[in-house]
Amino acid sequence: MKTVHPSIVLGAYTWDQDRLPRDEFQIRGQDLNQAMDANGWKAMFIYGDADEHSVLAYYTNFVPRVRWTIAMIPREGEPRLLVSMSSRDMPAMKLMTWITDVVSGWQWEAGFDPWIAGLKGDVPIGVGTIGFERMQPRLFRSVEKSIGERVRLSPAQGFEGATRSLRPRELSLLRESCAVVKAASAAMVRAWRDGANAEGAVLEGERVARSLAAQDVRTLVSLDGGRTLVPFRGEFKPAGDSLVAHFAVKVQGFWSELFVTASNGPSAFPKVEKALEALKAAVKPGVVGEDLHSKAIQALGTRAIHPVLTSSVGRRVGLSLDEGCPLRADDASPMVAGYVYSLHVGTRDDKGGAIASAMVAITAKGAEVLCESGDALAG
Amino acid sequence: MASDVRIEDTARYLEKEGFDAMVAACNGQNLFLDSNVVFVFSGVRPIGEAVVVIERSGRSTLVVTPAWDAERAAELSRTDDTLGCDDLSEGLERALKKINVNPAKVVTVALATLFAQTARNIEKVLGGRRAANDGFASQIARVRNAEELAAGRKGTWIAERGYERMREIVKPGMREFELTADLYCFMKGMGAEDNFLLLSASQHNLAVRAAGHRKLDVGDIILSEITPCYHGQFVQICRTTVIGEPSPVLREKYKVLQNAMHRGQETALPGTRVRDVANAMNDVFRDAGYGKYCQPPYMRVRGHGLGITSDRPGDITDDSDVVLEEGMVFVMHPNQYLPETGYLMCGEPVVITPQGAESLTERDAELDFIPV
Repeated sequence: MKTVHPSIVLGAYTWDQDRLPRDEFQIRGQDLNQAMDANGWKAMFIYGDADEHSVLAYYTNFVPRVRWTIAMIPREGEPRLLVSMSSRDMPAMKLMTWITDVVSGWQWEAGFDPWIAGLKGDVPIGVGTIGFERMQPRLFRSVEKSIGERVRLSPAQGFEGATRSLRPRELSLLRESCAVVKAASAAMVRAWRDGANAEGAVLEGERVARSLAAQDVRTLVSLDGGRTLVPFRGEFKPAGDSLVAHFAVKVQGFWSELFVTASNGPSAFPKVEKALEALKAAVKPGVVGEDLHSKAIQALGTRAIHPVLTSSVGRRVGLSLDEGCPLRADDASPMVAGYVYSLHVGTRDDKGGAIASAMVAITAKGAEVLCESGDALAG
Repeated sequence: MASDVRIEDTARYLEKEGFDAMVAACNGQNLFLDSNVVFVFSGVRPIGEAVVVIERSGRSTLVVTPAWDAERAAELSRTDDTLGCDDLSEGLERALKKINVNPAKVVTVALATLFAQTARNIEKVLGGRRAANDGFASQIARVRNAEELAAGRKGTWIAERGYERMREIVKPGMREFELTADLYCFMKGMGAEDNFLLLSASQHNLAVRAAGHRKLDVGDIILSEITPCYHGQFVQICRTTVIGEPSPVLREKYKVLQNAMHRGQETALPGTRVRDVANAMNDVFRDAGYGKYCQPPYMRVRGHGLGITSDRPGDITDDSDVVLEEGMVFVMHPNQYLPETGYLMCGEPVVITPQGAESLTERDAELDFIPV
């Protein structure tokens, strides 16, 4: 789920070597080495920005707080991070990554050109790229000018969207993220039940999440009983009869999220909970998105999926809130053990709406529920 | 037709230059240093990539992604129409068909800020690369209107309350991120929809940075760059706070920053070049023997414009020929690393008046301390 992008990614991102030791990045970097060897590339460039940086973070642990970053990873030699911030800020940026050569991207010719000049091989030297489709045209023109005819860029395939199963140490971090989203969304519901309005309740949840060292918090809330969801507006309108919100947190690099619907009386949309139960019961290795979508639609009866869910009943979540594999009517890709999904289902009418969700880790024989909307309501 | 002075100015520009329409774009990322041209014309901070189409007649259409955000955008937008889509180029194509514009007679603004693939797709919709005037929105919005200035004043009020809150709750043993969590949400509760909040501490800072896990301690110098955004108007105050009694040398050196700030404010009259303001501040440091520190990494700039309406006058640097105009709003901050003290911060949001740069704050930066 997207909301209005903040002007800076605020959280405490210092590289925690206890949880993600140096060897983690050697393991991860093997994919890059294989791609370089298979394609004859001498290096790979990974582009990420403040909004989407999951691949960059996966290989470097670095998260751009503003603007962009390019990781330049050679097959042989020292990698460099080119960060779009002032040289004044580089000491702080170095705390986020195992890469020691971190330089300001604002002095482009000083940061990019000498590193490129150090690549050896027959001209044109092949370099694989990841994420360049998001690069702003003016930055791409700088890249083109610097590489000239000496380097040929080729988009690397298979790196966008995570195709990797989470290993135990990664799943452990994702569990911590789920613990924070549970605590925060439970605080949100408690605040609402204690009389806070919808935006005030969500803000209380955010305060709890940030106090628990969440690196990022993204929220949406309904101001019309669940019919639509909107980013924070600061209007703090009086509390209504229901609270419908989306709450996402990032902890140690891993996202988790919950949709929560709370009401003063009985649920106006009981089929939503039934549909989520049907999804949870159905997920296991080998199941495809179209089957899950069909089960959810069946459980919702005549109602359509809430528009905010963009026709899907889930997607993969990890280093990004959207790692792809949307569970839609036309999705034929099978679930795989080690993948983590956010399952979500919701609907609306003219007066309101409801959405519920669960985070699940696919296991060898089924699935483990990591957190779900009910956790927030029970808290 | 919606009434908006900047859209009317744009329509006149299109008429004069012989264009049928303007397509102004943003990528959905918000930087407090930059203009968000879609916000300038519509008053909406989009979630994803978006464009505003302005016709020569003055009619305007906002196109936003994702499609599900269209209802909110329509409610907030000053444009005549609002359209939601999940693919910006497809949405733009639909919008242009509705208004029957000749794509060859379109001028673009900030298309280069979009993601490369989206920009290419939009160029296809427009039948090729069209004339660009990327600084247009920034230029016509360079002076805040009354409503924006009022929002800036409210944002400043929020920033000062945030700083007061910090001085109330900070204590040794607290972690930087815990303090930041409280302040961020405290100011959000006052209506700050965004906040470029840097807050860090050290016994000898090299620069300010985002909060980390460090535990605050007696003798720490806390640097805070508190930058709330209220109704799209970012403002910034820069503060230096010591846990415990500040040393005499720290007090003495902080006065250099305050003097530089005052010199900058006096110099910043309408008609003055930005470089002269920067040099006036740098001269104070030079006179104090710190001339060689008036460059990165010991400082960055002596202030800067504030998004997301207009980034003018840009960075306050000694090589900028931008001329200050009455009503311009920016942050002036002679933040500086000094070898005896480390990095120190002192800065206010200011508005240019005939008397110089008037601070929007009730209380200018002092070297504050937390008794222990």
